[in-house]
Amino acid sequence: MKTIRIGLIAAGVLVGSLLIVSSARAHKDKHTPQQLKAFEEVFMEQVRIGDLLFHGDDATAKKLNVQLSRTGMACAMCHPFGSDNHPHEFPKFQEQIGQFATLRDMINWCIEKPNEGVKIDSDSPAMKALEAYIYWSNRGSKLDPGRH
Amino acid sequence: MDEIQRERSELQKTLQGKGERPGGSLQITRRTFLHKSVLTGAAGVATYGWFPLIGTLDFLVGQAGGQPTAFKFAWISDNHLYPKEVNTRFVDKAVRAVKEVQAMKPAADFLIHGGDLAQLGDPVELDLGNEILKEVKIRKVFIPGEHDWYLDLGQKWTSLFGQPNWTFDHKGVRFVGLDTVSRGPDYWTAKKMSPKERMGHMATLDGSVAGSWAGVGRDQLQWLNQTLSSWPKDKPIVIFSHNPLYEYYPPWNFWVRDWREVHEVLRPYSNVTNIHGHTHQVLYNEIGKLRSIGMLATSWPWPYAPEGVPALTKCMVRADPGDFFDGVGYSRLTMNAASKIENEYVMWRKDTFAEAAVDSGCGDNVNQVLHPRIADQEWTYYGAYK
Repeated sequence: MKTIRIGLIAAGVLVGSLLIVSSARAHKDKHTPQQLKAFEEVFMEQVRIGDLLFHGDDATAKKLNVQLSRTGMACAMCHPFGSDNHPHEFPKFQEQIGQFATLRDMINWCIEKPNEGVKIDSDSPAMKALEAYIYWSNRGSKLDPGRH
Repeated sequence: MDEIQRERSELQKTLQGKGERPGGSLQITRRTFLHKSVLTGAAGVATYGWFPLIGTLDFLVGQAGGQPTAFKFAWISDNHLYPKEVNTRFVDKAVRAVKEVQAMKPAADFLIHGGDLAQLGDPVELDLGNEILKEVKIRKVFIPGEHDWYLDLGQKWTSLFGQPNWTFDHKGVRFVGLDTVSRGPDYWTAKKMSPKERMGHMATLDGSVAGSWAGVGRDQLQWLNQTLSSWPKDKPIVIFSHNPLYEYYPPWNFWVRDWREVHEVLRPYSNVTNIHGHTHQVLYNEIGKLRSIGMLATSWPWPYAPEGVPALTKCMVRADPGDFFDGVGYSRLTMNAASKIENEYVMWRKDTFAEAAVDSGCGDNVNQVLHPRIADQEWTYYGAYK
């Protein structure tokens, strides 16, 4: 286990350094395979965190200091594989909220209403991770904003 | 035609001979005629406009001694009860269903509970469910769901409800209860999971660790074959199971993995109906001479799977997630004086079936493409219930 941790730390340092270099030279040079891999890893790390939050993992919720549910329910219990989230249809008029809404608005509605959890900041790490997982699990869906 | 469609088409040809349909004694009513129209007229492609807006499916069941016999029975399942201190919303809905079944007039002859009484197999949850169901004074029979089973591998459930598979004859019908949950692969021993960790994976519908746990099993197939062998081939058989006895959507175990073998056992019988839970949604299918009807949950509705929804299913409405009593319920099954059974979905809302695509649990998802999750494959993660 210790070896795995050291490996993860080393990989994190490598990704971090690649990203710092990337930020400094953004769009000035051709992308290297290592850079693209680093971008992908940043994204997939957020997908994994979002996946854990979405499936009610207590440890991840505690780490991010969020309480997404107080009923025992997790997002995935109504949305297996991220189904019926329809991220490709936002923004739109959302009937339950009664106003024009973004995906983040709807995530917070679900946290507060069906899950009876505590609403999270719309720019928080937890929200970004949930958004990453929902978009990733629905990749390939046809973009159709405004569709009810 | 993709691989799944091709395989289903071949199976349909094999299992359903020319001119054969489920139930040799079926009386074709307007409703079943419409289903037949779909089968024969459009190569299995359903069109919403062909179905009437009704909450029942009619089919002839049986005659005892040559005379029509009337009786009712009820189905309740998928209550997913938590301990009361976690939440009471599922308790409230289970209590409502139980009270309504008890109040049926004329009374039901029996209640079948179709599994997933508990959410996490906790003895507190199973005891709570048992207490709630005691309000039903008629005969009760039980089959297990995976949520009832995988904390202690069925010990508490069997101590409360007995054997997980059984059979009895009632007024000209042979009823069979199948256990489709207890023969899952061992995914816990090698990883040294605790019982709660094992249950956590099993309780995650879209998890990938528990694998294809739904199955009938060779031993139970033999038992089923033997159980039916003494029954006339044209007499009605009703099989209760937690999972559907056909392949709908394996990633969520909306199937039994050995469904082909099940159909081989049932092949000689011309009037077999499978009534199942687990899917938490309106479903109807015919394969070979077997018809299948999916039941509602009292807890919450599952979305329709991204593929595999039977073409014969008229989808239920989109549920309002802000209303805990929406999209859920139970079933009343009535055999009337004309020897027809009506399956009535009791959904606690005005409309059960959707007409327009915008209101449909299926039609709403035309632009949706889904992908399986990945995070539960990583070592040390065991779900939300550690």
